[in-house]
Amino acid sequence: MLIKYLAPIDWLKSKNKFTQSITLATLVFCLLFSWSIKAEIWVEDSDGKHSFTSHPVRVAALNWDIAEQVIELGVTPIAMPDLTGYEQWVVTPAIPEGVEDIGARIEPNIEKLMALKPDVILIAAPQKDLASRLEKIAPVLFYQTYSESHDNAAAAVDNFRKIAQLLDKTALAEQKLQAMEARLDELRSALLTAYDGNLPQVKAIRFASVNSVYVYGENSIPQYALSKLGVVESEVQPRTQWGIAQKRITALQQFSQHTVLYFEPFEYRDKLAESRVWQAMPFVQQQRFNRVAATWSYGGAMSILYNAEALSQSLLELAPR
Amino acid sequence: MTLVALCVISFLHLQLGGMASDTSFNGHVLTLFEQSALLFGTPAESFTEINYYYVQLPRWLMGLIVGAMLGLVGSLMQQLTQNPLMSPLTLGTASGAWLALVIINVFFPSWVGEYSAIAALMGSVLTLLLVLAIVGIRNVSGLPIVLAGMTVNILLGAIASAIILLNDQYAKNLFIWGAGDLGQNGWSWLQWLLPKITVALAILLFAPRLLTVLKLGQQGATARGVSVVPMFLGFIAIGLWLVASVITAVGVISFIGLLAPNVARILGARTARDELWFSLILGAILLCATDSLALWVGAYSVDIIPSGTATAMIGAPALIWIARHHFRAQDSLSISLPGGRAHLGRYTGWLLGACLVLATLLYTLFSYSGNGVSLLLPNEFVWSVRWPRMVTTLAAGAGLAIAGAMLQRLVYNPLASPDLLGISAGATFTLVGSSLLFGVSIHESGPLVAFSGSMLVLALLLLLGKKHQYAPSMLILTGISLTAMIEALVHFALTRGGEDEYVILTWLSGSAYRAQGSHALMLLAVVLVLAGLSISASRWLTLISVGRSFATARGLNVSWAYVLLLSCVAMLCAIVTTTMGPVAFVGLLAPHMAIMLGAKQVKPQLVVAALLGALLMLTADWLGQIVVYPGQISAGILVSIIGGGYFIFLLMRSR
Repeated sequence: MLIKYLAPIDWLKSKNKFTQSITLATLVFCLLFSWSIKAEIWVEDSDGKHSFTSHPVRVAALNWDIAEQVIELGVTPIAMPDLTGYEQWVVTPAIPEGVEDIGARIEPNIEKLMALKPDVILIAAPQKDLASRLEKIAPVLFYQTYSESHDNAAAAVDNFRKIAQLLDKTALAEQKLQAMEARLDELRSALLTAYDGNLPQVKAIRFASVNSVYVYGENSIPQYALSKLGVVESEVQPRTQWGIAQKRITALQQFSQHTVLYFEPFEYRDKLAESRVWQAMPFVQQQRFNRVAATWSYGGAMSILYNAEALSQSLLELAPR
Repeated sequence: MTLVALCVISFLHLQLGGMASDTSFNGHVLTLFEQSALLFGTPAESFTEINYYYVQLPRWLMGLIVGAMLGLVGSLMQQLTQNPLMSPLTLGTASGAWLALVIINVFFPSWVGEYSAIAALMGSVLTLLLVLAIVGIRNVSGLPIVLAGMTVNILLGAIASAIILLNDQYAKNLFIWGAGDLGQNGWSWLQWLLPKITVALAILLFAPRLLTVLKLGQQGATARGVSVVPMFLGFIAIGLWLVASVITAVGVISFIGLLAPNVARILGARTARDELWFSLILGAILLCATDSLALWVGAYSVDIIPSGTATAMIGAPALIWIARHHFRAQDSLSISLPGGRAHLGRYTGWLLGACLVLATLLYTLFSYSGNGVSLLLPNEFVWSVRWPRMVTTLAAGAGLAIAGAMLQRLVYNPLASPDLLGISAGATFTLVGSSLLFGVSIHESGPLVAFSGSMLVLALLLLLGKKHQYAPSMLILTGISLTAMIEALVHFALTRGGEDEYVILTWLSGSAYRAQGSHALMLLAVVLVLAGLSISASRWLTLISVGRSFATARGLNVSWAYVLLLSCVAMLCAIVTTTMGPVAFVGLLAPHMAIMLGAKQVKPQLVVAALLGALLMLTADWLGQIVVYPGQISAGILVSIIGGGYFIFLLMRSR
């Protein structure tokens, strides 16, 4: 039958059957060989290398920081967790049309996920223990961004590249990373001009209440973004998994030389303004204190840029000129 | 003497406050002279001075006042009800305030700054009214009110957790309040609190007379022309108001109200007036001392140590110790639930079995996909996801129901629920502890860690209970203390921020989501074996539920039987908690429903309760996967809400 279909090809019209079958065998062999070459896609995640036969198209991203990076790479994930939560807290990049909600980040809906037939499932630490179960649906790749034992920002960039490699978007990823570096340079020089080449020390915080704050330190994305903006940090806070430590508000006094920036939202602003201790803070007295537009602090590579944009905007508002 | 102690502790607190701030911001420490100058009107100028005047001083004063109020109200309530276990903690008020705050933060975030105080106040007052409505104003003197308080506590806590889990980011700011913190930022909260607590004067002035008379008993009081009921209600109302105000100001600080009056009595406070005053001062000392500890430890740690965590860590062991040495075993059963049918109908058991089979079938075949419903034989993969979950919920429900039925007979109290023993809390403790100390995810640290925690609590219970021949009040007191201590630790874990807290919260919600085949089968096997054991030990249970002396007379070694049966209960709890996290209410509810269906003998009660428990859990898990599709509400939370609501309805109707 195959011969009948291939018949129009001239050199197959050989007279004897033996030559025919030899040719056919060679053809099949060639096909097989090229197939096995095609299978050689090696991708890397935080656990090591995995092989794929082709670049996956239907991607399910089970954590926000992963989903964010997939969207950044111009791929619409078929499934993401907790869309409403994402829209409220992560915000950028916006979720494209047609993404299915698969429930909570910690307890993704497995049956729905299966029904969506993904080619690959991307997970982060909260879903790590589900890997063996998810593997029955599709290959699972694990990208750990936040850990006490590595540099979170570097890991974020690294994971961005790895995900790009998986989705065959390496060129786009490099382009985006370069664009980010360029934009960061732009922001930095804008800041330098505004501050006459003399950037203050900056501390990014998030209020927990009028009495306590989360201070972003070593290993946090806001701190990394600040360093990219040219801000030098001298106060070193021990590194933690998320790069934050909860402190009493009085502990902020140690940042006597700093400009202090807080991430919105914060409902108690008026109440705090009345506080004597707060008024006595050096950065409040010298008006080195400002708000930063709401930005997600536990995101992927591009969140470095979003944090930098928001932080530099806030710093520009405080600039002498 | 106590006044001297108060002074010493105050001094220590203020100096520690200075030290704690010193290590964090390299300022100089104020000398005593400078401190006293600030106290007598020198305006504060440097940051250290301002910090002293606007942070340390108010915190100290807040500690004194809150401690004093909690001690006073504790003493008042204990004397009014003649119940040494009575306290704001055991009444569940804190969880009412907690729920109210969670609701405000999640659904009305713009109101947070302005109305949260009022919301918390209303939450705690409503909770207290609910608890009183359940047990009835005449029933406040025994264990029932404590149990009702804990029941409400669990119910409201479950609702709050469900809301937090479904809206995770919003409630973040609340965790430090939930952990109870005295930290102040200026005098504003004190100014808020002070006018609200002036009513405490009424207690100090007028309560002693009533309390003295009450000691004679109600008849005696009426004979002396004191109209007991209105005064009683009036004082309860004042007490509630005080507690609610304090909780609103500083969050959940447990144990002080329970401990102070008991310590006062041990130190020899005899008359009603003495006890009130001593409790007031002791409360202030206790809170000030534990807060000093929080300050001291906090000075050396990266994160804040909330005062409430320190209080609970000290308070729980102290309470257990006091209870061991100074409580008499007193067990009263003064609450009755609706009787239900006199006999088990001939077909009831079969009917239940049929329901269970039907539910199992439905669970297996039913698929919901947001816009459509289908009944299909699941494919291999779906089945591999569903069956471990199904087996886990069935076995967990049955196991908890059996544990509950046994425990209620062992402690002669129909309101006892296995989670009150602290067994589940023990598992939580080791899991959260290991995640805090070693940074391992709670889902990865494995069942062995959880199980060892539960067994540790069981060992403690057996060890501590021995002296009192496993008297119910002691068992429950130990359980409550441990549970409160562990709750404080969990709240501390939650305040630390980052994204870990939702992993912990999800585990705490008691979800069958992560059930694995092997664990499910293990659970099933253990539950089957223990169920078999309990049914074969039903004669013991029958004898014991008639009475201890009766059982002894019939030749039963009561202490030995208690150890075995309690271990059985604890093992059931432990294995369930290990597999799917803490699950409340099934163990409380199923045995009652069994009795209402007419299963009054031990053996039928165990069987019917097990069937009901399995049915309840399975239904809850099934519903939980549908109501917020594609998300899910864990079976533990849903069963708490359904079960808790139904139970409260039952209790109220039975009166």
